[in-house]
Amino acid sequence: MKSLAELQAIKNKMADRVSVRTSSGSTRIVVGMATCGIAAGARPVLNAFVEGISEAGLSGDVIVTQTGCIGICQYEPVVEVFEQNREKTTYVKMTAEKAKEVIEKHIKGGTPVTEYTIGATQL
Amino acid sequence: MIRSHVLVCGGTGCTSSGSKAIREKLAVELKEKGLEEEVKIVQTGCFGLCEHGPIMIIYPEGTFYSRVTPEDVPEIVSEHLLKGRIVERLAYTDTGDEEKKPINEISLSDTAFYKKQHRVALRNCGVINPESIDEYIAMDGYFALNKVLTEMTPDDVINEISKSGLRGRGGGGFPTGRKWSFAKASVSDKKYVVCNADEGDPGAFMDRSVLEGDPHVVLEAMTIAGYAIGADEGWIYVRAEYPIAVSRLKIAIQQAHEYGLLGNDIFGTGCPPSSITSRPGPTSPRSS
Repeated sequence: MKSLAELQAIKNKMADRVSVRTSSGSTRIVVGMATCGIAAGARPVLNAFVEGISEAGLSGDVIVTQTGCIGICQYEPVVEVFEQNREKTTYVKMTAEKAKEVIEKHIKGGTPVTEYTIGATQL
Repeated sequence: MIRSHVLVCGGTGCTSSGSKAIREKLAVELKEKGLEEEVKIVQTGCFGLCEHGPIMIIYPEGTFYSRVTPEDVPEIVSEHLLKGRIVERLAYTDTGDEEKKPINEISLSDTAFYKKQHRVALRNCGVINPESIDEYIAMDGYFALNKVLTEMTPDDVINEISKSGLRGRGGGGFPTGRKWSFAKASVSDKKYVVCNADEGDPGAFMDRSVLEGDPHVVLEAMTIAGYAIGADEGWIYVRAEYPIAVSRLKIAIQQAHEYGLLGNDIFGTGCPPSSITSRPGPTSPRSS
């Protein structure tokens, strides 16, 4: 170890790996992972969010987690985004592709992708 | 891509209540469910709630499971990790207040035991893997040593310690800054930093907790003390009856040497050459 830069490089390299434990997470992305969600393909959606958030360098601010069945099984995979000072956004019939779009437009851009939300479907 | 960390306590309390079997069972179950690429098992030091052990915390939710048995592991894996449903019967929920929070929002820091605590010396215990120097560095480990060696004189360090008000924790409460200034003023061609981790007081557990849970913090602090007082060699006297502490300390010393955080020319400063050796003490006499 010859310099502060070397130490900082190790810290940066590890940041993603410990952020699961230390993230303050003002934003939470919650993927429904009950039997219905998994059967409808929630697992690739969850993985797409985990990878996308990490690639975007947002692991310190955004928690990607899972929950059980919220009761609208026919609309699975369901993903809910909780943010401070905003009502939660509920996305339905998600795919890994849609997840990438949500990260780009909603999480990074600040504008929910209305066409994928539950409000856009005819309940 | 790892999305979840399962922290299983590997401190002495939880080890004696069977946490090793839980880690092994967890590895088998994760493999069976095809989750080994998504969920990471982390062995940590003591969380501080040994009577509720074996303890498990699952992040990112921060769900705190207590008194887990190997038989509970399949349910935790298939319910919590696979389906995202918290296993309520195992969740520790003693928040100590009237307000009932939904169980999935209770994390360890919300419990009555931790709510009013601000952990300083033990801040990393139960949070990092004590056998990983990289995890210690991720929590700002060895940055203080860098600052001391590159920006401060030994007198600056002693002044800072004096100003901090830090005192010995053994009962006498001797001011640490004064102790270091006397040690620095003492003239000798060879000085040592000696860390007494023999912990002879009956029932005492704190040296053990820090050595098992965050051994690098002890090494970093000893190296800083060595720089301040002009010592180039450190010795840790640790109880032979603390096998986990002894083994993690040895791993930590070796890692610090490999990274050049002990030895010669730390951070390219040329000073101080430093080495630390741990020496298990003789086992305590006992009646036969």
